[in-house]
This record gives sequence, C-alpha cells and structure tokens, in this order.
Amino acid sequence: MILAAALIVLALQSEQFLTVDNLLNQGRLMTEIGLVALPMTFVIVTGGIDLSVGSIMGLCAIVLGYSWKNLGLPLEGAIVVALATGTAAGFVNGWFITRVKVPPLIMTLASLALYRGLAEGISQAHSVRGYPEWFFVLGQGDVMGVPTQLWLLLLAIVIAWTVLARTIFGRALYAIGHNETAARFSGLPVDRYKTAIYTFSGFMAGLAGFIFVSRVSTTRSDMGTGLELDVIAAVVLGGTSIFGGVGTIAGTTIGFVLIQLLKNGLALTGVKGDATIVVIGTVLILSILITNFVQARRAGER
Amino acid sequence: MAAATQSVRPETFRLAGLRRLFGSQEAVLLGVILLLFVVVGGINPRFLAERNLESILLGNAYVAVAAIGMSMVIVSGNIDISVGSLIGVLATVSGSLAVAGAPIIVSWLAPIGVSVLVMLVIGFMVAYLRIPSIVVTLGMLSILKGGLISATGGKWISNLPPGYNLAQNDLLGVPLPIYFMVGLTAGAAVWMRYSAAGRAIYAVGGNAEAARLSGISRERTLMMVFAIHGVFVGIAAILFATQLSIIQSTVPPNLELSIITASVVGGVSILGGTGTAIGSTLAAVLIAAIGSSLIFVGISPYWLRAVQGTLILLTVLADLMRRRRRAVRR
Amino acid sequence: MMLRTLTAALSMVLLAGPALAQTHWDGGDDLPVNPLSCDGGGGGAAAAVAYDGGQPAGAPDLSGKPITLVDVPKLIGIGYFNATSKGMQDAAKELGNVTVTTDGPTEANIDKQITFIDNYITRGVNGVLFAANDPVAIAPVLKKALGKGIHVVGYDANSQPDAREWFVNQAQFNGIAKAMIDAMAKEIGEDKSFAIVTSTFTTPNQARWIAEMSAYAAKCHPKMKWLETVEAQEDNILSFNQASTLINKYGDELGGLFGMTSVATPASAEAVTQAKLCGKVAVVGLATPNAMKPYVNTGCVKSVVLWNPVDLGYAAVYVTRAVVDGKLKAGATEVEAGKLGKLQIVNGSEVLLGPPFIYTKDNIAGFDF
Repeated sequence: MILAAALIVLALQSEQFLTVDNLLNQGRLMTEIGLVALPMTFVIVTGGIDLSVGSIMGLCAIVLGYSWKNLGLPLEGAIVVALATGTAAGFVNGWFITRVKVPPLIMTLASLALYRGLAEGISQAHSVRGYPEWFFVLGQGDVMGVPTQLWLLLLAIVIAWTVLARTIFGRALYAIGHNETAARFSGLPVDRYKTAIYTFSGFMAGLAGFIFVSRVSTTRSDMGTGLELDVIAAVVLGGTSIFGGVGTIAGTTIGFVLIQLLKNGLALTGVKGDATIVVIGTVLILSILITNFVQARRAGER
Repeated sequence: MAAATQSVRPETFRLAGLRRLFGSQEAVLLGVILLLFVVVGGINPRFLAERNLESILLGNAYVAVAAIGMSMVIVSGNIDISVGSLIGVLATVSGSLAVAGAPIIVSWLAPIGVSVLVMLVIGFMVAYLRIPSIVVTLGMLSILKGGLISATGGKWISNLPPGYNLAQNDLLGVPLPIYFMVGLTAGAAVWMRYSAAGRAIYAVGGNAEAARLSGISRERTLMMVFAIHGVFVGIAAILFATQLSIIQSTVPPNLELSIITASVVGGVSILGGTGTAIGSTLAAVLIAAIGSSLIFVGISPYWLRAVQGTLILLTVLADLMRRRRRAVRR
Repeated sequence: MMLRTLTAALSMVLLAGPALAQTHWDGGDDLPVNPLSCDGGGGGAAAAVAYDGGQPAGAPDLSGKPITLVDVPKLIGIGYFNATSKGMQDAAKELGNVTVTTDGPTEANIDKQITFIDNYITRGVNGVLFAANDPVAIAPVLKKALGKGIHVVGYDANSQPDAREWFVNQAQFNGIAKAMIDAMAKEIGEDKSFAIVTSTFTTPNQARWIAEMSAYAAKCHPKMKWLETVEAQEDNILSFNQASTLINKYGDELGGLFGMTSVATPASAEAVTQAKLCGKVAVVGLATPNAMKPYVNTGCVKSVVLWNPVDLGYAAVYVTRAVVDGKLKAGATEVEAGKLGKLQIVNGSEVLLGPPFIYTKDNIAGFDF
C-alpha cells in the first residue's frame, strides 16, 4: 500500500514516468529478474534458497556464445545447449540438496562460485559477438508494440501462478515449507519435488541469460552478477516468507514490478544511483517491518 | 542406549577425544593446508619462503578476524551479508577521522564503536522484530553501500598521518595483524566452548525452543552475538584500513562472500549448533594459500572461483559424512 | 558417500586440465595490433579515414542555447572518474551554457550502466557522455539515444563506432604501450623481466593496452621477458596481495611491475615498498597523481604514465558543445577545445587528446586529482 503511494508521488514528480513508452521499456528491462523470481518463489516457499541463479545465468550466456563460436554449432543448437546447461546446473543443485542433504544456502553458495568459475574458465575472458539479426528479436524486438520478452514473461507468470495456486504440486510445496517432516510422512515425494523446483530455477536462469545476450548482443562472463540479491529482494518484498510456507506468484510479480518502477521513478526524478540503492534497502526493511507488525496485530486481536 | 549410561574408563575418554579431534573439520583443514604447502612448495620452493608465508597469513588476516564474528552469527542460525559494505564504511570513517586530525587511537577505536552500534540495530531487528537476518542484512547492504558513495563522492583518502598504519607494524619480526588473527581466534574459540554465554549461542542456533526451555533468552543471546560480531568486524576494518597508504572509499567487491566462505569451509554449519573460530581462521588461511598457490603453480587465474566453489562443496560433504558417521555410531 | 566425494574430486581434476593449458594471457580480444616504430616519434599522421560515427536522428537545433548533458562512466567512486568529472565541470563553467551531471553504477557492470543511460534517455537529456564497460553491449542503448535525437560522445572507453558521434581518445593504444614499455626498459634495462597487474581480463581498454604492449615489446625490446599477468578487480587490497605474491614468486627474476589501472599501480607500489625492494623492482603504470604522490616522492616510482583525465573530461564536454553548435561535423580533421587548443581527429571519428603525459617527481606536486 505504502509503495503504491510512493509510486503515485514519483509519477507526479516526473512527467515521463507514466508514459506507455517508459513503462513498456521498464517491462523489457525487468524480464530477466522477473523470470528468475518465479522459480525463486517456489524455492523460498519450500523453505530453501538459490543463490546461484546469477552465476547460472552467466554460465549459460557463455555456453551459448562458446558453443556457437568455438564449437561451431548452429545458433539454434547453441541456444538449446545453453538452456540445457542451465537445467543441468539447477538439477545438480537440487540433487545435492535432496540426496546429499546439503543445506540449500551452502550448496547454492558453493555453486555460485563454481558456476561463475566455470563461466570464467570456459570463456577465458573472450566475448562472443556478431550474432545474426534474428537473434536480437527476442531481446530487442517488439511484438504488437510490446517488447518480445515481456510476452514471454507474462506467459511464464500465468503458468507459474497456475502451478503454485491451483495444482497439487503447488500445494505440496506449501506443505513442504510448513513442515517438511510432516510432508514426508504424508507420502509426498518431497525429494522429487524439490529437485524439480531447483531444476526449474536453473532453466529459467538459462532463459534469462539467453534473453540478456539477445538484449545486449554480446556475451560476457560477468553477466548476472548480483542477480540473486535483486531476485530475493523482489520475492521477499512480495510477501513470501523466507522461512517457507507462505508466498504467492502474484506477490512476487508485484515485488519485482515495484522495485523496477521504484528505481526507474527515482532516477527520472533526478535521484542519483547511490541514493537509489539506499532507498531500495530501506524500503525492503520497512516493508517487512510493517508486514510483521500488521500480522502481529492481527494475531493479537484473535 | 543402555551402554551409554555405563561409566566409561578414563582411557576411553581420552581416545574418544582424540578421535573427535582427528575427525574434526579443523584437523581436515590443517591437513589440507599442510598438503598444499608440500605440493606447491615442491613445484616452486619460493612458495615456502618466509616472505611468502608471511604474505599469505597477512593478506587475509582481516578476513579471518571478520570470519570469527561471522561464525558466531551463523552458529546462532543467522547470516550477515552486509559485512562487506560495513567494512568499507568503517574504513572510510577511520581514515577520515585520522586525516581530520583526531588522535590516532580515536581513529582506531571509533569505527569499532560504530560497528557495534550498527550491529545492535541489526540485532534488534532480528531478535525482537523477528525480521529474518538475510532480509535485514540485504537491505543494510544497499543502505551502507549507497550511503558510502553519497557521503564520500568516491574520493580516496590519502595523506594519512604517520603512525596510523597499525597493520604495517611488526612485533618481534611478525606482523601485527597475525597476532590479532591468532589471538582473537584462540580467545573466541575458548570463550565459545567454555563460557555459558558462548555455549548459549550454540544452543540458540541448534534448537531455539529447547534453549528457551532451559532458560536461555533467545533475544538477549542474539543481541549479544551481533554486538560481538560488531567488535570483530570493527577490528577487521581497522586491519583493512591500515594496511595500505590509501583507503579506497568504495566497498571491496565480494568481501562478504569471502568471509562467509571462510566461516562455512571452517565447519560452521548453517543448520546451527556447530562450528568453531579455529575452523574459520584455518579456512581463511587456506583460501589465501590457494590464491597464492594458483599464481605460483601457474594455473590460469580464471579457475580460482571454480576452485573456491569446489572447496566449499568438498568441505560440506566432509562435514555431512562426519555427522552421518557419528549418528550411526550412536 | 565415498562415491560422491570421488566424483567431486574427479571433476576438480578435469577442471585442472584446461586450467593448466592456458596460463600466458596476451590481451585476448582478438583485434589486430599495431606497434609503433621503436625510435621515438609516435606513428606518423594516420591516413585519412572516412567518418564512421553514428548520427542522431532529428536532433533539435540548440546551437548557442543551454544544454544538459549526462556523464555515465564505467563506475563511480574511483579517482580516475572523479577526475574526468571534475574536468567536465570545469568546461561547463567556462562555457557557461552547459550543465553536466555525472551518475553511474557503483560497480563496473555493463547491465547497470545500460539501465542508467536508459533512464536518462527517458528523462530527456540533450547529450550523453559515456565510458563503456563493454563496447558491443552498450551499442543498442546508445543507438536508441541517437534515434531520439540525443547526441552521444564517448571518452576513455569506446563503443562500436556507429553507436556514437565522436569518441575522445586519451591517447592511442599503441602510444600508451610504447610509453609504458619504454619507461620500464629505461628503468630496469633491456634484458630484465616484468609482470603485469591489471583489473580484469575482460576490461576492453586494459586488454588492448596489454596486447599492444606485448607486440611493441616483442618488436623493440625483444630481450625483455614477460612473466605473467594477474587480475585484481578494482580492489586495493587484492591488488596489493597479488603484487606481493608476484614479488614472492619470482624473487630476483622480477625486474618490474606494470600497473594497468589507477587501483593496481598504487597497490603494486605499496607492495614493493613494504617488501623493501624500492629501487630494485620498478613500478611503472597508469594512475592518478594523488594516489602515487607518496611513492613518487620517496623515489620508489620514477614515472607515472597517464594522460590528464581532467583534460579528457574537459575535452569531451567541448566536443559535445561543438557538435551541438554545428561546429564539428562529419569529415572534420580538427576541433577547437577551449584551453587545450585544437585537437586532431584520427581514425574517422576519434578526437585525440594528445600524447601520453608522464608524471614525475618534478611535476607531480602540481596536480590534485
């Protein structure tokens, strides 16, 4: 609620903020975070976390460039290989977390370093550029006036929402987040579900990597650095509890849209970069504070 | 179960203690460090030169000190990802005070005070307001980083007064930071294991409900943990700031990751309840040694990150194996 | 469990394979090098190249009118870009009808830089000045700016030529390489070895300089041996540690260290000072004067190679003003830049600041940035 008020204030301060042009542009820029925030919601709902998404994004970007340029695959093939790499990376995370029982924070901390290291090692700091025109449609083109990747994001949001809110799989995730032992005893295939969501997270990170390369027309091994923090901030802001068991896709969507618009609005009003991140940090803490406060009040009233 | 209640002969106690020592994470780390020295020293003997060993210990001393505090935070079941930004801020505070003419001792101690203050605020939010530590420190990270740039405009601090550079001094031929590192580690390890307050941290991290039932106040313990963490971060920041003749006013990138990695590799478990300061210091030394050895052996520096990641993974696997084995034996 | 540990160990060994393969890094950006002639005199006037910059579409005619510019450097918070920013402010004050704001990311991250430029495009500025984190990745957003009638001028780190109108080049890459290698050779002699400390291997400028240095050294100082290159981000202490490790590793074999950034050079000098090897290990590098004053004054570092970043920012603003006023058009061979006089135009759309500037003990006191 407070954020909506803040946005209105920002809109009044700068006439370029609420233009269709600007909003669509912001949509284009936030797709990568949005796509990764969706599976992150699933992950955090089960009480886990995935810090390696930024590194997976970088790794897939590098693999895309590398398989196309150095291995000579046709570009379509390279894209498939990149997405497969992301999926595999996510699967490895999930496997270690479920079979070997490594805590998600530690595992994804390790894979954050490992995957980034692989990206740096494979690329040996070379960038790959010179993609054909059709490759850029995804990242820089429009379909019916709306940026291409935004359609993809909308589709992903709808699918993710349906899965989490309407399917047994979704409800199982909430159960796992509330009480994993109880969920296991009720016969839910906890391990399989958890592996699935981490794999999904890896795949989406790969997809985000593909879109990013298409948007900036080159590959670099430092792509996606810091992505995980932005995504987690968005998910938490959207009302998902870091302890698990609570959270919705709708909330997450509001989360990353708000952060993007907030950053954009502040910049358009003339606030410089450093002050903007101070604001975002404060907003994050305040919003959780207020949510907790409201919840405590409500619990007290009962 | 019945066997556990029988009285155990003293020899068995000693043997069990020894086995615990050798099977511990700390022993594993020590072993790996020695192995590394032997192997790399064999490839390039200059690796073992006194100067280089000194560089290795010196270079990461501040990480090791910060990791002690971080270990306590993680043992209590929390995490602090804002520590890198905080160190940047503290270093700038220290340097600015020194350049502005404050007595040098003030410029060394004031940052510690600031650090404790910040940590108490964070601790308050975690303990009493029940905001998860990852969220609080995530927000704090941005606030500190942005605030630092806004305040300094990115200017570096030079013209530090003579005598300021604490970290550059030697005592009996050994650089001061190493004394800090070793001394603080030993002190912290002893305190955590043998004092009631220290053991309370393990209790709160391991099973907060059981701790509460035994009369340990979760809130007060957490506040204490963050305050102590603040002291360590403050000391680390001083070591960081006084190392070179100029102070960078930006936040060192990836510092929090290095510190957390040191703690985790040192055997501190995020599940809470286990881990010691000795482990995290050894881990910090190991990471510095690996960084140095990569240059000595001539491995492409691109692979440093991959090596660090694999290291974390192997450590955790070893830790889990040990837990599994210990559970089975019982 | 054992199986898993074995697999992890195996994968580490597999990683080590390619790791050991490539150790000697030589610039890695695959572009051709062009070393200058060995005996002084920077390469003669380059053959006239056709203008290859981009042009804004439908830029409003603002000649003589006040304009607002935004400067988005690679990152904010380091001495170098503080200096360029100062130069821009000086120029703006002199011209009287220009307002420049410097804003940028706190890390050298291309994605964040693109977002900054994008926001300012939406806000509506008359011109964008930039120093690119990546020449190709920054092109789409710059072209967008051009498409909206916004003037685009680069400095320090170029983008693809058609994404900006002009690029103010502080010095030719091969000119810098020559100055650095010559300075090092003069200090340590023709047959010693050197090592390089840089920021990251993916920074385009450093990559180009090192490639040119390597080519020039091979051509004109063939007996000098290049030991290795290490990267140290923009982190002071890490650079210090890396430099110390290099000193420890090579011992007497190391004759000199090159610092490629305003962070690496002072840190390397510090490492040499703390190792008490001043005079035995030379430090030559690119840095801002203030950071190097302590070392130059003790004689530990004899010369600091740079250009004047304040002048660089100053020139960038003057060039932009000239473009807006219609005084600088495609095909021009020189441009008037305030107190710097006339600057030459080379390579079609590059404005050359001049030869590299060498700071020594005699002149360093006169600079404050």
